[in-house]
Amino acid sequence: MYSLATIDYIIIVIYLFMMVGVGIWFSKRHSNFDDYFLAGRSLTTPILITTLISTYYGIDVLFGDSQLAFTDGVVAWFGYARPTYAFFLIAAFLLANRLKKEDFRSLPEILDKYYGKKARYIGALASFIYSLPALSLYGFGMLGNVIMGWPPFVGMLILGGIALVYTLTGGFWAVALTDSIQFVMMCVVLAIAVPFAFNIIGGFDTMIEVLPIAYFESMGDLSIWLIIIYASTGLTILVEPTFYQRIFAAKSYKNVRNALVIGIFIWGSYDWVVTILAMAAKAGAIQGIIQANVAPDASLLTIMVVALPAGVLGLFMAGVLSTEMSTLDSYCLVAGGNVAYDFYKPALKPDAGDDELIQKTRWGVGLSWILGFIMAISFDQMLGLWVFMASILISSVLVPILGGLFFPKFHKPLAGQLSAGLGLASTIILNMYIMIQGTFVVAEETYVLHMGSLEIFQEYLMYLTVPISFMGYMLGIIFGKEKRS
Amino acid sequence: MSGWEIFTWISVIILGFGSIIVFILFLKDVPELLKKSEKEPS
Repeated sequence: MYSLATIDYIIIVIYLFMMVGVGIWFSKRHSNFDDYFLAGRSLTTPILITTLISTYYGIDVLFGDSQLAFTDGVVAWFGYARPTYAFFLIAAFLLANRLKKEDFRSLPEILDKYYGKKARYIGALASFIYSLPALSLYGFGMLGNVIMGWPPFVGMLILGGIALVYTLTGGFWAVALTDSIQFVMMCVVLAIAVPFAFNIIGGFDTMIEVLPIAYFESMGDLSIWLIIIYASTGLTILVEPTFYQRIFAAKSYKNVRNALVIGIFIWGSYDWVVTILAMAAKAGAIQGIIQANVAPDASLLTIMVVALPAGVLGLFMAGVLSTEMSTLDSYCLVAGGNVAYDFYKPALKPDAGDDELIQKTRWGVGLSWILGFIMAISFDQMLGLWVFMASILISSVLVPILGGLFFPKFHKPLAGQLSAGLGLASTIILNMYIMIQGTFVVAEETYVLHMGSLEIFQEYLMYLTVPISFMGYMLGIIFGKEKRS
Repeated sequence: MSGWEIFTWISVIILGFGSIIVFILFLKDVPELLKKSEKEPS
């Protein structure tokens, strides 16, 4: 546990009460489902920027990027973060307009339109699993332990519980408004941290002198295959359910497009600042300012505890909490929508009114939180779980969604069903197989399956599951019948 | 100052001031957004 000053704890507590307060202030009767789930489809560019950025960036980015930068330097930005910006541009100029033209409320509804209900249910299951807040809750357990000295499950309950309360009560309005506050906190505290970090290590020039030269090589010693894998993780942006929700909630396509384009500059700056702060931590470890054996994923927090004065450190910790709260609330709400709008209404109660849909969404939010909590306290290797959950959506819905949006001739139900179904099944089976039969290699931070002389990393499975999904899609086009309108 | 350091300070400015500008624009939109969120009880 890091020792913080009293003022730091006061700031953190004020921040937590503020989040609950905003959520409760929005705890009112929503007149319809669009109001509860999509904020009445009225979001303008500034709030779209804040909610897109704060939702998509959680502590997996903050600690994951910093971990890579601590061990390898600028390649964390050039090789890992930068490729994703191209996908934001694709989303802005090719995807958002097509999505906005229709009256969709959820990603699985797109599958229903093009391929029928069965494809929708498969997509809803994939989206629900993807959106479970296991990683967020695990992160809260860690943060609660590091900042407050709580046992991990207490941190999960209290910090995760706060985000749950305002999401349940306020719906998407509460999510979007708290996201906006969390956005400015995340960004400003990180920017403020830079001069303090440079001050404690002796300046940027000292960092250049102290760190190995390889730290300033843009691609480092990453293999081309690993670079391709990292770049391909950006594919999730094209089928990211929280992105889709914000596109549906936008006032117009132009608002979304502008938000994504402006957002790229802030995303890019955020990633670069995290990279540099982690490199400063490495310089600090070499100089003995922080302990030499600091864990890479703890390096950012460690250098901040040393560098930041009392009060500013409290703001930084509140900013870190913001980073994760803004992610958990959004994914829980999407998961709730999957339960109510994508399964309950079409499968069980087609004539469900808005009040009932809102109630069932709240149940879904609660269910996703509970399942995420169970996963967070049950799994030893959260990294393996993260890879599995991250790949499940790409593997099952990427092909049918993009096929549906861009190739209207191929709207055959069998294509969507086989593509989504085979993608989902192969992801679950192969990931479970490698997590059971393989071994977790600490140095590689992934599960590895040895088959003779072959080493299969868990991250490589996507190169099997996406082609399987594509093959299912092609089989469905060849053998399937046209969708009856 | 090296190119890396210049790039870093530009990023700090974009991140810090850019986010504050976006937040101010959001605050200007809040009254309009809140009007839309006020609904009659169902």
